[in-house]
Amino acid sequence: MKAYKTIIKTELKLSLRGMDMLIFAVIMPLAVLIILGIIYGNKPAFDGSDYTFIQQSFGALASISICAGGVMGLPLVVSDYRSKQILKRFKVTPIGPFTILIAEVTIYFLYSLISLLTLFAVARVFFGFEMQGSLLQFILGWILVMVSMFSIGMMVGGIAKNTKVAGIIASILYFPMLIFSGATLPYEVMPITMQKFVDILPLTQGIKILKSATLDLPMNNVVLPIIVMVAIAIICSFVAIRFFRWE
Amino acid sequence: MEDIITVEHLSKSYGNLKAVEDFSFSVKKGTVFGLLGANGAGKSTTIECVLGTKKADWGVVSVLGMDPNVNRKELFEQVGVQFQEAHYQENIKVNELCEVTASLYKSSADYKQLLTNFGIPDKGGTLVRELSGGQKQRLFIVLALIPNPKVVFLDELTTGLDARARRDVWQILIRLKADGLTILLTSHFMDEVEILCDVICILKMGKLVFYGTVTEAINQSPHDKFEDAYLWFTDERSAYNESL
Repeated sequence: MKAYKTIIKTELKLSLRGMDMLIFAVIMPLAVLIILGIIYGNKPAFDGSDYTFIQQSFGALASISICAGGVMGLPLVVSDYRSKQILKRFKVTPIGPFTILIAEVTIYFLYSLISLLTLFAVARVFFGFEMQGSLLQFILGWILVMVSMFSIGMMVGGIAKNTKVAGIIASILYFPMLIFSGATLPYEVMPITMQKFVDILPLTQGIKILKSATLDLPMNNVVLPIIVMVAIAIICSFVAIRFFRWE
Repeated sequence: MEDIITVEHLSKSYGNLKAVEDFSFSVKKGTVFGLLGANGAGKSTTIECVLGTKKADWGVVSVLGMDPNVNRKELFEQVGVQFQEAHYQENIKVNELCEVTASLYKSSADYKQLLTNFGIPDKGGTLVRELSGGQKQRLFIVLALIPNPKVVFLDELTTGLDARARRDVWQILIRLKADGLTILLTSHFMDEVEILCDVICILKMGKLVFYGTVTEAINQSPHDKFEDAYLWFTDERSAYNESL
């Protein structure tokens, strides 16, 4: 426990020193929220809807930092620590390299949590946001999306040959999901054909779960997305554990 | 005297390349054991197999009476390792690296004292990557000593150190040895080996070509200087003579 705490403290400092996660996982979601808030204000999501545009987008915004940490942060840090042989150095200590991986997952969890809390506070204070659905359902969905995204990241970081390959795969996953899954550019403003196309992105499905929980929409609409998220989490975790390269 | 490290019939190949072949040795408590040989002779592979970071194809390894692959957790409470290359995070500071290292062990030495002993007491707030080569090398020896180990593995101990710093490191190691620390090291500096090592092994292309003391090595060779004897054993005499 002493080791875990010290590693978390140090890795968090290192991460903040690097600034990139602070920007991509905390500041960027807030910036998108504020932009959407300025454009749409408290307007209803569409004519006759009983929820606002911000309410409709909240789940998507909360997924930005999960996406940044899961498919960009995690793969890069895991492959970097392998190529720098930091994982190997931990192998010749009583703690073992698994602890530092758990510490990294914890750090990206913390970024996602901070992002969720700041988004909630700003949306509530400035744009009158209220959670229409059950908070518990939202949190469960949020955790499911996180487990699923983080398992993708662990898989990519765990099996990518080197840092460069991990970086390329991370970019291929991150940027399309950031732009087209509805996380930043709202799904609802996309043409129907485009929506069908972006439905193949895992995060699009994840966002549907969060949106449904925020707006208290019927749960049977998100059965498929839940199955997709669970399947991704199981498959990617299995591949990550089975094929993880320690060096 | 009690054997701290014993290795029997260690063999390890990478594909067709035999990195280490049927290598046996033992290291007694409170002694310094030098593993010598040219680059690629199998020194690092041997260390990695002893530590369990590489799996030997064949052979039995025991450190402090434990199998490094089985009693990993217990064993590495008492073992310090300095790797040949620096394995640290990009933006980590000296204090942070020491603090994390100390946190991994149930009991640990006061790293500030160690930094002082090694002549880098004022570098705590410096980024590790901004240290000079010699300062880095000293830091990595400090890291290996943080667990208050019974045995340390030092891979290319003083590479990158200037003459003064090398002598300081030797003095510290001689003191630690007097306190009962067992040391396994690799080195390319024969003056260092002569001063520090009680027993040496010379490897050549994965095979043991000499096992004994420095004096025995000199006596078994036609030379009267250890460096010449070493080169004679590793069969680099012709290259050595040409370069003169």
